[in-house]
Amino acid sequence: MKATFPHMGNIYIAVKALFDGLGIDYIIPPQNSTEALNIGTKYSPEEICLPFKIMIGNYIQAIEQGADTIILTGSCGPCRFGEYCELQMNLMKSLGYDLNFIVLDMPKDIGINELLKRFKKIGSTSTKSKLEKFKAAKNAIQIMHLIDEIEALSHYLAGYERNKGECKRLLQECKKEAMKLSNPNEMLSLIKEYKKRIEYVSVDINKDPVKIALIGEIYTVIEPYSNFYIEDKLMDYGVSSKRGMTPTWWLKNMALSPVKLNSLNIKKSSREYLSMEIGGHARECIGEAILSYKEGFDGAIQIFPLGCMPEIVSKSILPSISRDYEFPIMSLVVDDMTGEAGYITRVEAFIDLLERRRDNVLYGS
Amino acid sequence: MYYMGVDVGSVSTDIALIDEEYKLVEKIYLRTKGNPIKAVQEGFKILKNKYEDSEIYAAGTTGSGRMIAAAIIGADVAKNEITTHATAALEIDKDVKTIIEIGGQDSKIIIINNGIVNDFAMNTVCAAGTGSFLDRQAERLEIPIEEFGNYAMKAKSTVRIAGRCAVFAESDMIHKQQLGYNYAEIIRGLCDALVRNYLNNIGKGKTILPKVLFQGGVAANIGMKKAFENELGFEIFVPENFSMMGAIGAAIIANERVKKTGKTNFRGLKLADNNIFSRSFDCEGCPNKCEVVKIYENNNIIGYFGDRCTKWSSKTAEKSKLA
Repeated sequence: MKATFPHMGNIYIAVKALFDGLGIDYIIPPQNSTEALNIGTKYSPEEICLPFKIMIGNYIQAIEQGADTIILTGSCGPCRFGEYCELQMNLMKSLGYDLNFIVLDMPKDIGINELLKRFKKIGSTSTKSKLEKFKAAKNAIQIMHLIDEIEALSHYLAGYERNKGECKRLLQECKKEAMKLSNPNEMLSLIKEYKKRIEYVSVDINKDPVKIALIGEIYTVIEPYSNFYIEDKLMDYGVSSKRGMTPTWWLKNMALSPVKLNSLNIKKSSREYLSMEIGGHARECIGEAILSYKEGFDGAIQIFPLGCMPEIVSKSILPSISRDYEFPIMSLVVDDMTGEAGYITRVEAFIDLLERRRDNVLYGS
Repeated sequence: MYYMGVDVGSVSTDIALIDEEYKLVEKIYLRTKGNPIKAVQEGFKILKNKYEDSEIYAAGTTGSGRMIAAAIIGADVAKNEITTHATAALEIDKDVKTIIEIGGQDSKIIIINNGIVNDFAMNTVCAAGTGSFLDRQAERLEIPIEEFGNYAMKAKSTVRIAGRCAVFAESDMIHKQQLGYNYAEIIRGLCDALVRNYLNNIGKGKTILPKVLFQGGVAANIGMKKAFENELGFEIFVPENFSMMGAIGAAIIANERVKKTGKTNFRGLKLADNNIFSRSFDCEGCPNKCEVVKIYENNNIIGYFGDRCTKWSSKTAEKSKLA
């Protein structure tokens, strides 16, 4: 078995650690690029959302390098993501690829036993002992958690740093260096080391940067290629940003969902505007908009792929939140367009708006 | 002493010179035709016979081509269109509450509260609701776009045309033509459709309060102004220099910047005669494979764009903070 998986943000780092730890052969698809998108757009249904297309690109690029098993997360949820695995299996089959698909669905949908069985299927090609397997999983989860923390930290501190660009540079360096290591333990200590370095970045606490929360559909918020590297851009502008959607959050949310203890603060905050689960992460989007207002953020940017059903609902709720809390929220819809100018204009204008609202001046600097 | 604003849009490139009182003294309107460098140079050719470099105290750019234009002319600021349009609108009227701006590829709504931009929205991934929607239909009906508004005003009644998608609006329009409606009624129907789409899409969830300023190229269309007024129920105003508002705003902001920094980066009007061209290449430095654009002036590289890691763009010596 040569396993591969679709990209989503930094997840590839943790997956690498997992497979290295388990001693399973794997292929990491080339980083998301226009090439992956082109391949995906060519073969995917025209009206499907953007993540699907990029994922198909990932698969085919990985297969070219020898991958034969695709591991992906699923959901039987009421948004199109629920259909991804079935559609992708059919699509890849009709393209003539003979592949194994291992779909990790939510335990509440397929039952914990079925999920464990699927995990076992992945683990069966590993020759490691039970203890070593457990250790590999533990390391991978810890790495995922740390990388998420490092990202969050550098995105936030970018607004306060004294040496412009230091956070961004450290973050990029950390990911690059981590990928060079094939021993999960070494990777873990390297990442810990970088976390310390980022924690000690020289900051000016008297700075009062614009703070923006990124909310919306999970894939397009997390995957930088799909959102025109918005977090990098915000770092360049000296804006502090935060996003609630992370792979760590997703895992925790999934693990706690059977006992309904998942994301309690989000559920509570969103209740007034959207009291039920409507699929995707619409409720999280609403909840996070309100939470980020309460945490003192200046505004929020909602990102979602064209045609995303849950986010269309939240998009129409967000103006009420914006009005009730006097909290600016901008929506960005992403699709397979790669011209950035329009997006940069919107983001720059939004930052201008937030700055000027705060300082109550028209021209600013 | 003059301040210069250059608005490089998808359809037109506008150059404005304003004086110290922020009055427009010179306006140049050119079609961009997909070549922003040439359009800017052409504009400068006209200007260089009339003005000296020393008369230009500050220069700013805006529009989707603002970065490339800024590199060529040595702008003091490259500002997004929302801010420049709002700046120019507030300069002529402090009481403006809403700005409707419809350009070639973009349409925007800007909500102003107590003299500052409080909220804005732009069209998302589709050009329905923008100028190109009208441009396209004008072309099909073989009516010059400048005449479009007058046709609409002649209509006694209107025809309903679907406005969500510019492509399907066309088929709707053809069907209505086959039923025997005349040009005037159909064009009025198109204006109504565009307004409906604008209010439904861009203006969704926004409260449009008077006083409303209508700017951008489409504001030339009197039929559109009328359609907005019918829908909103109150008068809207088209400023005298509606198509220059972005450029004027950029000039004002450039002046504010130069006042602070004390000197301009403006490279002078002579660049009209220089050989400026661009070359692009795929950077192979990492899997991102950015498409990087190099700008040359007489074989000297004056700027790079498009690299995410700033490996190339940081090479350009004068990399002042523009945004």
